[in-house]
Amino acid sequence: MQKKFFLLVIITLYLFVLSGCWSSKEITELMIVTGMGIDRESDTGEYKVTLQIINPGEIASQTKTERLEVTTYQTTGKSIYEVMRRFSTEVPRKMYLSHIQLVIFGEELAKEGIGKSLDFISRNNEFRTDFFILVSKGSRAEDVLNVLTPTEASPSVSLYSSINVSEQIWAPTKGVHLDELLNTLVSDGKQPVLTGVKVSGDKDKGDEVSSLEQIKPAAITKITGFAAFNKDRLVGWLTEKESKGYNYIISNITSTVGTIPCEDGGIIALEVKKAKTELQSNIKSGKPSITIKTNIEADLGEIQCDMDLTKMSIIKQIEEDAGKQVQTLMEHSITKAKEEFKSDIFGFGEAIHRQHPKAWKKIKGNWEETFPDLEISFDINYDIRRLGTISDTFQKDIK
Amino acid sequence: VGLSGKFFKAKLQPSQNQSNQISEQQKGFLKESIQTNLDDNLTKLKDLLGNSSDVVFRTFILSGKRSIHLAVIYIDGLADSKAIQHFILESMMLKCEEKLQQSARADEFSIIKDFSITIGEIKTVNTWEDVSNSIMSGDSAVLIDGYAEAIITGTKGWQDRGVTEPTSQNIVRGPKDGFSETLRTNTALIRRRIRDVNLRVESKNVGTVTKTDIAVIYIEGIADPEIVKEVHSRIDKINIDAILESGYIEELIQDETYTPFPTVYSTERPDVIIANILEGRVGIVVDGTPFALSVPAIFTEFFHASEDYYQRADFSTLVRIVRLSSFLLSLLVPAAYIAVTTFHQEMLPTRLLISLAAAREGVPFPAIVEVLIMEITFEILREAGVRLPRAVGSAISIVGALVIGEAAVTAGLVSSAMVIVVSFTAITSFVIPAYNFTMATRMLRFVFIGLAATFGLYGIILGLMALVLHLCSLRSFGVPYMESFGPFNMEDQKDSLFRFPMKKMLTRPKLIGTTNKVRQTQVDQYEEKK
Repeated sequence: MQKKFFLLVIITLYLFVLSGCWSSKEITELMIVTGMGIDRESDTGEYKVTLQIINPGEIASQTKTERLEVTTYQTTGKSIYEVMRRFSTEVPRKMYLSHIQLVIFGEELAKEGIGKSLDFISRNNEFRTDFFILVSKGSRAEDVLNVLTPTEASPSVSLYSSINVSEQIWAPTKGVHLDELLNTLVSDGKQPVLTGVKVSGDKDKGDEVSSLEQIKPAAITKITGFAAFNKDRLVGWLTEKESKGYNYIISNITSTVGTIPCEDGGIIALEVKKAKTELQSNIKSGKPSITIKTNIEADLGEIQCDMDLTKMSIIKQIEEDAGKQVQTLMEHSITKAKEEFKSDIFGFGEAIHRQHPKAWKKIKGNWEETFPDLEISFDINYDIRRLGTISDTFQKDIK
Repeated sequence: VGLSGKFFKAKLQPSQNQSNQISEQQKGFLKESIQTNLDDNLTKLKDLLGNSSDVVFRTFILSGKRSIHLAVIYIDGLADSKAIQHFILESMMLKCEEKLQQSARADEFSIIKDFSITIGEIKTVNTWEDVSNSIMSGDSAVLIDGYAEAIITGTKGWQDRGVTEPTSQNIVRGPKDGFSETLRTNTALIRRRIRDVNLRVESKNVGTVTKTDIAVIYIEGIADPEIVKEVHSRIDKINIDAILESGYIEELIQDETYTPFPTVYSTERPDVIIANILEGRVGIVVDGTPFALSVPAIFTEFFHASEDYYQRADFSTLVRIVRLSSFLLSLLVPAAYIAVTTFHQEMLPTRLLISLAAAREGVPFPAIVEVLIMEITFEILREAGVRLPRAVGSAISIVGALVIGEAAVTAGLVSSAMVIVVSFTAITSFVIPAYNFTMATRMLRFVFIGLAATFGLYGIILGLMALVLHLCSLRSFGVPYMESFGPFNMEDQKDSLFRFPMKKMLTRPKLIGTTNKVRQTQVDQYEEKK
């Protein structure tokens, strides 16, 4: 008993000493990467990776110097993993990828296909899955990462929060996480979209502190409409309106504001509180069709024309107009996807797959060809719930 | 643990151990009876007590039918000299002689005892051992020439600190009196609040040299007789030269020596001891210290303050939750800080990580070294502060605050985040009402820091598992330490983490107050109105 006990104690003590701290890494030994940009060099075909890192010493208020809070590093290589290791030749510490906020693909690379570069990101254990994946519109990914932001120390963190906020209150935005992207990539009834981002302003000046020393920065990053993909290749861009239509179709509206014109040339603004869309698929003699059923609840937020809101018929009229407008939005984005992209970004195929799995087996082989001819009908139910603190507008009484 | 017990078991046998304390000759003498010759007796007694200046031998003569030689022996300072003067000397010398002369009886001893000593507590003894013990405890002995007996009169009356406010357990609402160093005062404080014939105050004498009085206090019919018996037998087994504080008793009777957790509850507050006695526990009051003990003690008890029962139940419950979380925080915060910042940075929100990284930037030590520096500094400061004279204390706190809070951070030796962690931990460790329980967290904190630095959160979880197993294995006088949680007991949830309203607290703790379970019967105060 006594011997066994001692043995146990000794073994336990060994456990401490032998294991040491083998997987520990001090914060001060890490470079916290917040943004990653992937481009392809057109001449060599190598990947060019841009990493935006935090410079913690500059964030601590006591030891502030003239240096910036963020820095970007760039290296090229044939594989992304290789590039990540090559960074050690330039950077004094280990690149720490767990806190990446954004992965941005350059437009050129996206057109060639992002599938191959996604492998590293999904395989590496340091990546969390809560970062957003974006495509830079009209520029390279590095350009986006090289723009300084006025309010947030790290531009990546700034863009990340901007996507989060915008997704809540502005219909045309949607952030895409890694797992969602991978799921749509491998599913055969839906094609991925990614958030677009662009640099507006003078992108050559955006990386200088002087850009922030004026009230209106020389360049800012801006979320734009969606980048539509076919498989892993970028096939085109949705405009703001089309993006809004897209979000209505995939039921990704939390809250937004829509405007409709009224008879005497004014504008009615409606705050959408709740929007729910269901895709209903029908198979008629082997031919699929889709009904988009949307229920929208909205509050009347602003009215600039002379209308008697106390009348039920007027409200009904507004509801109908607003419903029609949402339908137009949807139709626009569907037409673009059908005619321009030839890519089922809305997941109509998936809806058919879910509701008519047997029929889907027959269709799925040539879905890409059938999709542009897919018959789509709408069933929109627009509901105005509240009129705000006044009912009838006072504008007609202004003399 | 059993092994280490064997390892430390003393090889000395009790008889050898004590040979230097009382010589065989003295031992033999103590057993002897008192002689009839007063002069012989006094010589012997002087011989026994040595040349101690505080022992007073007052001899005098009464003239009865013959002249009677008497001696009053007491210890100056322990005995109340006024009482001796008024109720022994005065009453004997001035009022007794007449009685002695007139009395038909020849037995002067009983005349003096029955008619002239005007003191309440009185007894007759005939061995030297009894005489010397009585003198040592402050009584006085009256020896009369021609009688082989001594009259012991209760004249205890030494300087006492008096009943003052307890210093270790302050309270906002509730009684402000605290125990003092005198056993009698303490038992009186208890008796005063429990006017029940079943309250038992059983005295014992422990310590071969100090002969310290201790009292075992319980209520017959509420306390489990098994536990009372166990307390008696454990105290009786003690064979030590001195009991200077109740901590001696606590250590000698506790179930488990090798644990950081106290399994005996100690307090300065009479109301706490009384509440414990009423729940079926056994109180132990030791002469010479204001700290009384109560057993069995369970884990949750250390998170209860007497005030919990004097203020609103809902608030008490909230405060108890705060205390328990403070216990966990004071145990785990530095460890969690190390684990998260050196192993699991991905768990932190990005902005927090950036702030931490900014705070740590430029600190030359790894997090574990930083934590140890700060924790050890704090322990040093605390230890220095406890024992320093009050005048120097403020100087230490200024230096400490400056060194820890300001200079170390400015010099870049420790990060400001670390200062927050350590000061927060320090504050949480003061929340637990029982001081001896916080010592456990102070020690275990370092164990957890070590575990976190080697294994990260994994180590902390392992440590917590071991801690829970250990706590569940503890017992206090046969009662599981984690009573009401493990073994789980629905009924006792009323007064463990929660404090139910008084109307709902109908019974005593299940495993402690077994003999008499019901405390109150449910009464509806508004019955008639309905």
